[in-house]
Amino acid sequence: MFLILGAILAAYALLAPLTSLDAAQSANVPLLADRLWFRIATIIAMFIVMATAWNIIGGITGYAAFGNVAFFGIGAYTTGMLIAKAKWPFLVALPFAPLVSAGFAALVGLPLLRLRGHYFAVASLGVGVAVGELVQNIDYGGQPLFGGASGLFLPIYAIDNRGLFFFYLMVAAATIAIAVTWWVLRSRFGYGLIAIRENEEAAAVLGVNTTVYKVAAFALSAALTGLAGGIFSQWNVFINQDNTFPIDYNVQMILMALLGGTGTVFGPAVGAVLLQLLIQFLGGSLPISFDIPFVSADARPILAQVILGLLLVGVVIFVPRGVIDFFGGRSRLSLSYLRRSLRETSL
Amino acid sequence: MADFVQLVILGLLAGGVYVAVGVGFGLVWGVLNIVNLAHGALVIIGSYITWQLFTTLHLDPFLTLPVDAVALFVLGYALQRGVINRIIRAPLLFTFLLTFGLNLVAINVLLFIFGSDFRSVTPAYSGQGLEFGSVVIPYVPLISLGVAILLSAALAFILNRTRIGLAINAIAADRDAAQLVGIDLRHAYAVTFGLGAACAGVAGGLIAMSQAITPTAGEPYTLQAFVVVILGGLGRVSATVVGGLAFGLVEVFAQSIPGSGSVFANAIAFGLMVLVLVTRPQGLLGRLR
Amino acid sequence: MTVRKLALLAAAAVAAVACGSGTSTGQTTITLGAPLGLTGSLTKESTLTQQGYNLWLDWINASGGIVVNGVKHPVVIKYYDDTSNANQSAVLMQKLITEDKAQFLLGPYGSAATATDAAIAEQNQIPMVEANGAAQSIFNQGYKYTFGVLSPANKYLEGVIDMAATLSPKPTTIAMLSADDNFSIEVADAINSYAPTKGMRVVLYKKYKNGATNLSAEVQAAKAVNADIVLNSGHLQEAIAINKAAKEQKLNAKIFAYSVGPSTPDFIAALGNDANYVYDGSQWTPQVKYTPAFYLTVSDYVAAYKAKYPGLGDPDYHVAESTAACLALQRAIENAGSLDPKKVRDALAALDVTVFFGQIKFDSRGINIYKPMVVEQIQAGVHHTVFPADVADAQAKYPTPAWDQR
Repeated sequence: MFLILGAILAAYALLAPLTSLDAAQSANVPLLADRLWFRIATIIAMFIVMATAWNIIGGITGYAAFGNVAFFGIGAYTTGMLIAKAKWPFLVALPFAPLVSAGFAALVGLPLLRLRGHYFAVASLGVGVAVGELVQNIDYGGQPLFGGASGLFLPIYAIDNRGLFFFYLMVAAATIAIAVTWWVLRSRFGYGLIAIRENEEAAAVLGVNTTVYKVAAFALSAALTGLAGGIFSQWNVFINQDNTFPIDYNVQMILMALLGGTGTVFGPAVGAVLLQLLIQFLGGSLPISFDIPFVSADARPILAQVILGLLLVGVVIFVPRGVIDFFGGRSRLSLSYLRRSLRETSL
Repeated sequence: MADFVQLVILGLLAGGVYVAVGVGFGLVWGVLNIVNLAHGALVIIGSYITWQLFTTLHLDPFLTLPVDAVALFVLGYALQRGVINRIIRAPLLFTFLLTFGLNLVAINVLLFIFGSDFRSVTPAYSGQGLEFGSVVIPYVPLISLGVAILLSAALAFILNRTRIGLAINAIAADRDAAQLVGIDLRHAYAVTFGLGAACAGVAGGLIAMSQAITPTAGEPYTLQAFVVVILGGLGRVSATVVGGLAFGLVEVFAQSIPGSGSVFANAIAFGLMVLVLVTRPQGLLGRLR
Repeated sequence: MTVRKLALLAAAAVAAVACGSGTSTGQTTITLGAPLGLTGSLTKESTLTQQGYNLWLDWINASGGIVVNGVKHPVVIKYYDDTSNANQSAVLMQKLITEDKAQFLLGPYGSAATATDAAIAEQNQIPMVEANGAAQSIFNQGYKYTFGVLSPANKYLEGVIDMAATLSPKPTTIAMLSADDNFSIEVADAINSYAPTKGMRVVLYKKYKNGATNLSAEVQAAKAVNADIVLNSGHLQEAIAINKAAKEQKLNAKIFAYSVGPSTPDFIAALGNDANYVYDGSQWTPQVKYTPAFYLTVSDYVAAYKAKYPGLGDPDYHVAESTAACLALQRAIENAGSLDPKKVRDALAALDVTVFFGQIKFDSRGINIYKPMVVEQIQAGVHHTVFPADVADAQAKYPTPAWDQR
């Protein structure tokens, strides 16, 4: 039942924009005619890519990377530099984003993946922060190499129906990410990664080349994230350290994967959709208005953030296996489920 | 030469704040295996308490530090007992996210109460200091360093010489065994987190004097706590003290690189942290977990 | 809750979204859109911006609205919180245009958000008038739909240099400290090229990380070169840190001038007596003497601010420049005699009017290079305008006495 509904929703979301924009706009048909919808949907698709990509190294392999946003930024700047400085066309520059990101991941991953648990997480966070700083500040011949603090301005992409184009491009990237995850989970490579997650020493003993597998997973994760970054750079037209290396994207990707269900194919995507919709809803950007009584207009944004924080706390405590648990029919969202979750993880 | 000495002094003095920030963070991480992303928020809550007492009651800021410690201890105990204890047995990632959520709530509650204005505590003697020729040792940072060292000593004393401290050590060594010998885990965990929060509160009081505070001003300190603890090493309070001082020195010397060099201070600090993790994960002084 | 019920819930949500296609504004109201960082790191400055917009809003609606061809149109400003995140600002901009049918846009706070939003305004061909993003890089992109009423970044400290050139004994050496963000670097680079034209040398140029709270090393470097003038290009947080460190480390200079920070009441509140003698380059002060073509005079504006926001002191220039953005838009709409975006855009490009804030006129790139910056100094805990002479209400207290002689 859910699958049917999900398929209908997905079909609506994907095919609706193909209806002629002008006709839809004059008829004022909701969603179809909506540039805002494209923007939000593109962002959701972008997070689907990032969360799914993180899942490969974090959920499947069990190495919780905390600095994946570095690859987003590297991808964005690779494409950005090629377009802005070398004047390459967008579609030619784009494939280099995942390539460079993957290359960097392989380089950095070799030493980093020797660490475990907390140490790996913190080290990857450090790399994430350091890369962002370097990109913003490196000079060459007295001038900032990557555009520096003023960022890089790309030319506005000359195409009709720009919103539509980038929406489909990002959805394509999301599809690729999910397809790659699906393939990984069914392949020998994926079994090796899961083995590493469950018991790395045993996996090594059984003949899994853990170093190669881990670095490959890391590079794959980086490539997908970098692809999202590359698309972002041309879509947003302007990139700088703040919007391509934002530290809280790290947390968001992980949260989405967790919320949806790590280690699964569709979990991170579901989590991305839910969390982003929630963030956009609380931020007031969805075309639904709501009024909270007793709260002044000034306090509303603050309250929205508090609600987000509390929700996050609630989810982590009560739904640790992710929402996807409910969709497979394995569990039902009930009070006893919540109580069980609590007992499993609390002291 | 005098310049070099001055820089070393400035580095050590800056290190005082980092020591205070780091010991609480390191305690919670080392013993409870919790990476508290809300640590910066706890620090800033301490800052606001000091600021409020200074502004309304005109209390000397150093005298408000015990108030910070007690208030934050209570808050930390309640948080751990009520909220964080619920996910202790979950994978480590969950504590990252839980504390991130708490951080978000704390910052916005502060925003609601105090607004976004920048505030600072400037006592009458701020700016004055000891002078030895061209080398200056300002009073406020000097006393702050002293407070931080004292704080660390007190923490070490509690951990090594008191009953609850020994219980905490037992938990750090083997949680289930500790429970088997009758230690009340829930209480001990809460006390540990409370101690960590108390240290954060004191750090906050010190920070209120050295810079301007606003609800989001604690964020950088969480990140810096990471570096301090890694540099020094998990496992012992003295290790974190060394880490904090080392970080202060690294920061000051990185920022002295002529021209634009100092913009890389953050990159250098984090790069150093990654280097330490990869080559010597136990840090300068710590024990490997 | 079973899967079935959950699915029904999802369907209902989609239906709700589909049907709730936003409020359509009545024909007679003009809707303006403004995404601001009402939470997050830019809360303080965004709040000031909002105050400026609201002051104008009250006044224009009290008189019935903006007059277009003899018809009065009341004004509504729709605010959104972008949590100080530039990417979120873009989403909200799009919502303002698509859902809320904002006819014109008021700028966000900060150069990063302004840059992103300018691209969106350009793509949608809706004029955006902003007052809080001074980085010239935004205006060098050839955008036709973004206009900035404030003086560009490079002017921020040039006024201080101009003033210094008139003082005696004339200072000649400058230590320039700068944060590494877009805006601050533009301010600092401008000084590098401007100072020699007035017979002064920059003997130290040190950049530091934006938002740094420990600047003792930078202050030490400035002390080592013993410059006459110490300039900082950064924001409030860093200005406070530098001033504290200067006192602690006994950095003395004849002039301490910070680009942003000293003009806000927070600076004086945070530092007490240590704030005295500090100069800053300001877009506007309550002492300037401009004769407005319309809207309130300077003194009436200050009074209106104090009436609406009591207990905060005088309006900061962030408030004033935001009001000026609204005034520019209003006058352009009146001049165009129409609400058509292209006509209003052209009217903005041709605008030349003086209000309480100063002259508003845009160069071919869209930024206001015609309004001069003024220089303020804090004397005995109170702001005074000290330069240029025709708007000054006090003499500069020069040179700044050494710390141990105050």
